[in-house]
Amino acid sequence: MENLDSIKDLWKNQGESTIRFTQSDIHNMVQKKSSSIVKWILIISILEFLLPNLVFIFTDIDATRSFYQKYELTTVMQFYGIIHIIIIIGFIYIFYKNYKNISVASNVKILLSDILKTRRTVKNYIYYNLTIMGIIGLHMFYMVYNSPQFIDELPNNSNLVMVWGISIILLVLVLLIFWLFYRVLYGFLLKKLKKNYAELLSQDSL
Amino acid sequence: MTKELEQKFAKELEDNQSIIHKVCRSYTNNEAAHKDLFQEITIQLWKAYPKFRGESKFSTWMYRVSFNTAISLYRKSKRRVETTQIYDNLKELEYQDYDESSDKQLKLLYNAIYSLNDIEKALALMYLEDKSYKEISQTLGISEVNARVKMNRTKTKLKNILNP
Repeated sequence: MENLDSIKDLWKNQGESTIRFTQSDIHNMVQKKSSSIVKWILIISILEFLLPNLVFIFTDIDATRSFYQKYELTTVMQFYGIIHIIIIIGFIYIFYKNYKNISVASNVKILLSDILKTRRTVKNYIYYNLTIMGIIGLHMFYMVYNSPQFIDELPNNSNLVMVWGISIILLVLVLLIFWLFYRVLYGFLLKKLKKNYAELLSQDSL
Repeated sequence: MTKELEQKFAKELEDNQSIIHKVCRSYTNNEAAHKDLFQEITIQLWKAYPKFRGESKFSTWMYRVSFNTAISLYRKSKRRVETTQIYDNLKELEYQDYDESSDKQLKLLYNAIYSLNDIEKALALMYLEDKSYKEISQTLGISEVNARVKMNRTKTKLKNILNP
């Protein structure tokens, strides 16, 4: 195959594929479920929207309520709760809009870009969650550690700076674990798409 | 979706399936993966079929959806055997196991295409199918200039693989 024109002839003269499907095979295929990357992105994204909020199912509501009351956190937490719900609705709306935009009949670049955009919404949602967790955590530490109830209960030889230090280290560790887990998941899902998108956009000549 | 629509779709797909097989064979390296990809393309085509208004030929539309599925949507099946892009090993790809009858040169050509990256595979296929740069740029969503640059690079790569 010295030149590419000869391979064109070879290509054009190739016979039918050894694999052939009948109309009945095709009828069976259309009944099957898709296992496309987009489907997986949808499933995983829904889980990601739900998971940070499902944590509340496993918390003891009465104990949490009395903890908030004890340290006068009820109003603050209600405020965060309302803001959080509004932001989640916003994220879900943007995600849904982007998801509906994905069309397999668009060109390759638009399709890749639309899938990546949809996924980016979830990425931003996760970052928002990590940020809000950090902010609420710090705010809660501040309110609790400065309350007379906490200081009264603190043993005499305790060092408040150390309590703060340990709390912040734990908070950072928890956030870091979530972030790492997310990076792995995100990389795993989008590796191929990102590679193809970059290849498509690259304009390097020979 | 009505039974009638499904029947029309199955008929059109059966008649035009050779294009999809060429895409599947270029993007996979064994029969099981080929069938998996064919099935995924069929599902995607069927999902998009009600919106197909016939602005383009069924085969052109099918080609676009097939590339999109292969490049953007298809997840590697566990059954698919990973191969490296080392050209020396091309002759060992699994396709030969079930495709004894086909021409040796054609096998080498498919193996060479398989060793290209996903975008280059699409370019190589469209080159072999004599598609115009306009159609290539529209299918991939890139400028004609970029399509030409990429096509030249792909052709050189293909040539080097076929004539080491």
